[in-house]
Amino acid sequence: MWATNLRIIGIVLGTLALYTLIANKIPQVQSEVPHALTLGANVTPEQLVAAGDQLYHGAGGCTACHGLGTRAPNLLTDEKGLGPIGARCGKREAGKDCKAYLYESLTSPRAYVVSGYEPIMPEMGRILSPQQIWALVAFLESQSGTVDVTASDIPAASGPAASAAPAASGGGGPGIAGGSTEPMTIIRGAGCTGCHKVGTEGGAIGPNLTHVGSRLSAALIRECILKPDTRVAKGYEKFVGVMPKMFGNQLTGAQLEALVQFLSSQK
Amino acid sequence: MAHVFALVQAAADSAAAYRDFPVIGSRAAIWIAAEIHLMFAAFVLGVPIFAVVAEAIGIFGKDQRYDRLAKEFTRLLLIAYSATAIWGAVFVFLLSTLYPRFWAYLTAIFGVSMWVYVSIFFFESFTLYLYYYGWDRWKQGRAKIVHWCLGILLNIWGTAVMFIADSWLTYMMTPPRDITPETSPASIKLWHAILNHTWMPINIHRLIGNVVFGGAIVGAYASYRFLAAKTDEERAHYDWMGYVGNFIAISALIVLPFAGYWLGREIYQYDQSMGITMMGGFMSWLWVIQAFLIAVLFLAGNYYLWVGMGRIPGAERFRPYTKWLLVVLVLGALVWGTPHTMIADSRELAAMGGSHHPLLGALGVMSAKNTAVNLMILSTFLSFLLYRRANIRQVVPWAKTGTRIQAAMFVIAAGVVLFFGIRGYFVEAIVRIGYSVYQVGAVLACIVFVTVIDVLMARGAQSLGAIQWGKMPPRSQYALFILAVTFTWLMGLMGFARSGIRQHWHVWQVMQDTTPYAATPALGYAAIMISTCVLIFLSLVGFIFWLGGLAEKSTFVPSTEAPHVGH
Ligand code: HEC
Ligand code: HEC
Ligand code: HEM
Repeated sequence: MWATNLRIIGIVLGTLALYTLIANKIPQVQSEVPHALTLGANVTPEQLVAAGDQLYHGAGGCTACHGLGTRAPNLLTDEKGLGPIGARCGKREAGKDCKAYLYESLTSPRAYVVSGYEPIMPEMGRILSPQQIWALVAFLESQSGTVDVTASDIPAASGPAASAAPAASGGGGPGIAGGSTEPMTIIRGAGCTGCHKVGTEGGAIGPNLTHVGSRLSAALIRECILKPDTRVAKGYEKFVGVMPKMFGNQLTGAQLEALVQFLSSQK
Repeated sequence: MAHVFALVQAAADSAAAYRDFPVIGSRAAIWIAAEIHLMFAAFVLGVPIFAVVAEAIGIFGKDQRYDRLAKEFTRLLLIAYSATAIWGAVFVFLLSTLYPRFWAYLTAIFGVSMWVYVSIFFFESFTLYLYYYGWDRWKQGRAKIVHWCLGILLNIWGTAVMFIADSWLTYMMTPPRDITPETSPASIKLWHAILNHTWMPINIHRLIGNVVFGGAIVGAYASYRFLAAKTDEERAHYDWMGYVGNFIAISALIVLPFAGYWLGREIYQYDQSMGITMMGGFMSWLWVIQAFLIAVLFLAGNYYLWVGMGRIPGAERFRPYTKWLLVVLVLGALVWGTPHTMIADSRELAAMGGSHHPLLGALGVMSAKNTAVNLMILSTFLSFLLYRRANIRQVVPWAKTGTRIQAAMFVIAAGVVLFFGIRGYFVEAIVRIGYSVYQVGAVLACIVFVTVIDVLMARGAQSLGAIQWGKMPPRSQYALFILAVTFTWLMGLMGFARSGIRQHWHVWQVMQDTTPYAATPALGYAAIMISTCVLIFLSLVGFIFWLGGLAEKSTFVPSTEAPHVGH
């Protein structure tokens, strides 16, 4: 009987261990609480680095891609013999020092794409506040480099401390996708393809935009982008409120027009 | 109203809103207490359903075995019942001391229903005592029917208790739309809070889930007794009991996905972004694990049936089919487990030119998943059917035609499922969602009609020999254990999913969690918590079974109806 009992206990523990192991093998994503960051005018580099550390490992979501090995370059450890990010950031782009490069990497990641990787990194200026971006820059610099971010780099917090709510183009950058007016670049950069299908790309949450020009005039398309819910696409009544309402603030005038022209020509 | 809001939030922010629990922290303490309470609750709700059905079969089918089975289970219920109450008390004390502010908020809205809950629990206990201790007293004729009605009453109380508790937790997840952080809890009408979006779907999903759970635990109990049995008769009895437990668990499991999809749809309709967080956001991996667990359930259940054919004379005829069923089940499980959107690594991305993998993308969409799960259900049903007719030869003149009709129904149902599954790729999402209804309809219709034909066809059938209960290799029994462990774990996982989609809210977008534990942990940590809960629960259940064995060795009586052959 003891043999049977032991076998049963073994099976129970084995099954539990298997499930626990599998759940620990998959990517670990924790859902963080959006966190308001207030940095005073006399913030020290150490405080910035500490805040950046927290963001990096938490609400910033960086570890969903970085540090896994294949999906994105290692930042905290060596990457292809160039050392951690603080050691290599000054050598990436001619004429850009470490600080400028890191800021660019975060706010317009497609401006310089590290070779061997795909441009999948989100534009962090849309998710994080300027304070948070600068804290991250300081933290990344601290990885085998020298921290030269100071309080003067950080724009004075405008109004209530910027929260994690999508902030319009972080740090006063030139709009989505680095200000590009190439329509597909805007569409990708603004994340339209997260919800809409355009040609062969994109998801199926919103209406397919491949032939949107044949159903909507340019004026209506503009309106749909600026005030998404004033005109609801047929069959999508239940999806009202899903399309973000901040594109009007994020796109530059030229970008909006380029986008509208492009979409209305999709017949 | 603004001042009320200021009050609620200020209080929630102040230190007095929370206390911490030593060493493991408040969240882990609440997690363990709530989950184990829930598991016991599911057990004491699932088993009475089981017991009443078994008693009815005993009464109306004139089969004493079932009556004894029902009683054996009710005895286990008595102890499980106090365990439920103890863990419930632990849970409430922890919640009210560790999260006093939030507790005050809930009681302000639900106070009345909490009193009702306690009184029903009280009635339920006494009904249970009557039901159990009256078993041998009210054994004959009309008294037996009254006794059976007591069992039904027990289930009514149980279901009412669950519905009330469900209203609290569904309110936390989907509070009615007009309730904002400014709404004073005292001004919220009780019924308004109860009738929230996910209340009914969770009620139904849990009701069915509890039946599966009850069946699975019964199966594990029987298999333990089977392995420990000393005589052939005892072995036969517990083999049979294990079969009944597995049968109930798998039959109810077949319906669970439909209830699950309803629940999922309601969540989407309530709040798109919540739906997206659930299925595509930080929880998307959870569904891969869920699919894996469900695949284990289907496979273990079917495996048990196939091995069980070995004890049925005449079953050899059907052996060759099982390997094809296995192929369908494994393929279905693979498709179902394929996630839809996942950030791929750079090499994969280079190959697919977008964040949708050509293969993952195609197999991961809802069409393919619905198709897979429906085909898995059809295969499991087919396993049952083969099992059912393994030892009979039909004598009705239309037996051949009947079988052909049944086969045609399977083909048609599978055809409908496949047709809409493929069509689904060519239509818009909104149309596609409607397709799943046709798929489910075809499968259910097939199950109902085929069963009816089968019952008619089996009339007066010639037996190829009685099922040789007890002639079962021990490995089949271990499948029943895996079934019970997996199911308990699945319950823990889904409980995490339910409370995880609220993210950092006590009450979604109404009352924020401002503790250090507000972040929703990753699956790895959750899995450790779930395994801990399952382990505690199973150890306690093991203890209860052991106690049950101490009190009275077993209610097993040899089939000769001889008065107790000593144990
Ligand atoms: C969706 C995946 C993803 C996420 C999330 C992500 N990154 Fe990246 N990141 C990439 C990829 C891929 C690259 C390389 C290609 C490129 O340069 O765009 C990259 C490049 C970088 C680089 C330049 C590295 C180098 O060697 O020059 C920095 C710095 C960086 N990321 C920082 C961050 C930080 C900080 C976060 C969190 C706030 C973050 N990333 C979040 C995918 C991601
Ligand atoms: C989070 C999902 C989401 C994102 C991101 C999104 N949309 Fe939408 N969009 C929707 C939904 C849902 C609808 C339909 C409901 C409605 O009209 O409000 C819609 C409707 C539209 C329509 C009207 C289509 C029709 O057939 O009537 C246009 C045009 C449009 N979106 C353009 C865009 C553009 C351009 C972008 C990027 C700048 C974008 N959308 C980003 C979800 C999204
Ligand atoms: C074969 C399919 C499914 C099975 C076997 C299954 C099984 C279970 C089980 C056993 C529970 C615990 C029940 C209880 O606590 O009493 C549960 C709960 C839950 N299920 Fe499912 N489920 C399935 C499909 C789904 C789907 C498709 C969804 C949603 C999209 C879903 C969402 C949930 C949620 C949110 C809970 C938590 C309820 C709670 O316990 O608080 N399920 N499921």
